[in-house]
Amino acid sequence: MMGSRGTSAVLSRAARMRQKLQSSLEASALDIEDVSYQHAGHAAVKDNANETHFNIKVISPKFEGQSLVKRHRMVYDLLTDELNSGLHAISIVAKTPTESGS
Amino acid sequence: MTFPMATSTASTAAAASIRLLPVPATPSSRTLRFPPILRRAPRALLSVSALSKLSEASPVPIPQEPTQTLPGEDALPPRPGVYGVFDPAGDLQFLGISRNVRASIEGHRRKVPADLCASVKVAIPDEETPDKSVLTNAWKSWMEEYIAATGKAPPGNVAGNHTWIGPPQRPADLRLTPGRHVQLTVPLEQLIDRLVKENKVVAFIKGSRSAPQCGFSQRVVGILEAHGVDFASVDILDEEHNHGLRETLKTYSNWPTFPQVFVGGELVGGCDIISSMAEKGELAALFQK
Repeated sequence: MMGSRGTSAVLSRAARMRQKLQSSLEASALDIEDVSYQHAGHAAVKDNANETHFNIKVISPKFEGQSLVKRHRMVYDLLTDELNSGLHAISIVAKTPTESGS
Repeated sequence: MTFPMATSTASTAAAASIRLLPVPATPSSRTLRFPPILRRAPRALLSVSALSKLSEASPVPIPQEPTQTLPGEDALPPRPGVYGVFDPAGDLQFLGISRNVRASIEGHRRKVPADLCASVKVAIPDEETPDKSVLTNAWKSWMEEYIAATGKAPPGNVAGNHTWIGPPQRPADLRLTPGRHVQLTVPLEQLIDRLVKENKVVAFIKGSRSAPQCGFSQRVVGILEAHGVDFASVDILDEEHNHGLRETLKTYSNWPTFPQVFVGGELVGGCDIISSMAEKGELAALFQK
């Protein structure tokens, strides 16, 4: 599952995102899909086309009672470092366990 | 070319016979005269047949100054119909079709140079709310009559001519500043704050609203337009007029990506949230607030 601490330096962005979201949101389900290839020609990603665009689906009890904007902000806040280091856009589906029906 | 000044008015029964010229696409039953029994509902036929030919309709003079009022409503009724606008030389400039002929002509007067609007001819079906096909058929027969006589369409109806009917009108994107050379007297943050509070719905997008530069911005613009939302747009990539907006807005809204949609001064979200609200049918309620 998670890479050990010693390998974190070479972890992919996807793996780092997974780690951050999983631990902070106590996610009961977490899908992270790298869709950077769909944006390969995108002006903003010319230089570094790897791991720039992701789709994230996350189910977390911590979203309970939070508006969509707040949920997305929670995710964005956890990924600030990534957003500042080349992560360009993420598409977020953020649900509570109740909403996801699980 | 000029049109003969017909003495009959649009409403006289004398001008009753309308000629439907053969339409090349469906040549079979569309001969010169259209027998009442064929294809069209009798209701529709009645009103078509009451319309005069373009060449036989009476011209109604239009005052040159847009401030002068139009002739009375009996001559130019606020009703559905077709109309042709003529320049002072009597040349047809534009053939129009409208749910309110009077209002359309009033609109043209304001938009179009005065030397193109000297008089109009109108044809108004008898019914209060004629079927659309009645109007389009009347328009087509006038157009065909004109083309048959002159070999060309009126200049205003030629594709690419936007004198009479503009390109799809989209409001311009808002700009935060007059340009980079202008020293701001208030912080950018304050300009953003004012903008999102003074406009009910604001979309900060990449690219202009008519040509968004990013798929997510494009989707948001599409959804807002599809919902008929009257929204202001701001192009965050416009470095000339919105220099620094990109970074400042991220801080202002505490939201790291674009597009961003604000309603009543509050961030509603980006593409994901707008899409998901659209799917759930929640947008209409949001924009009514």
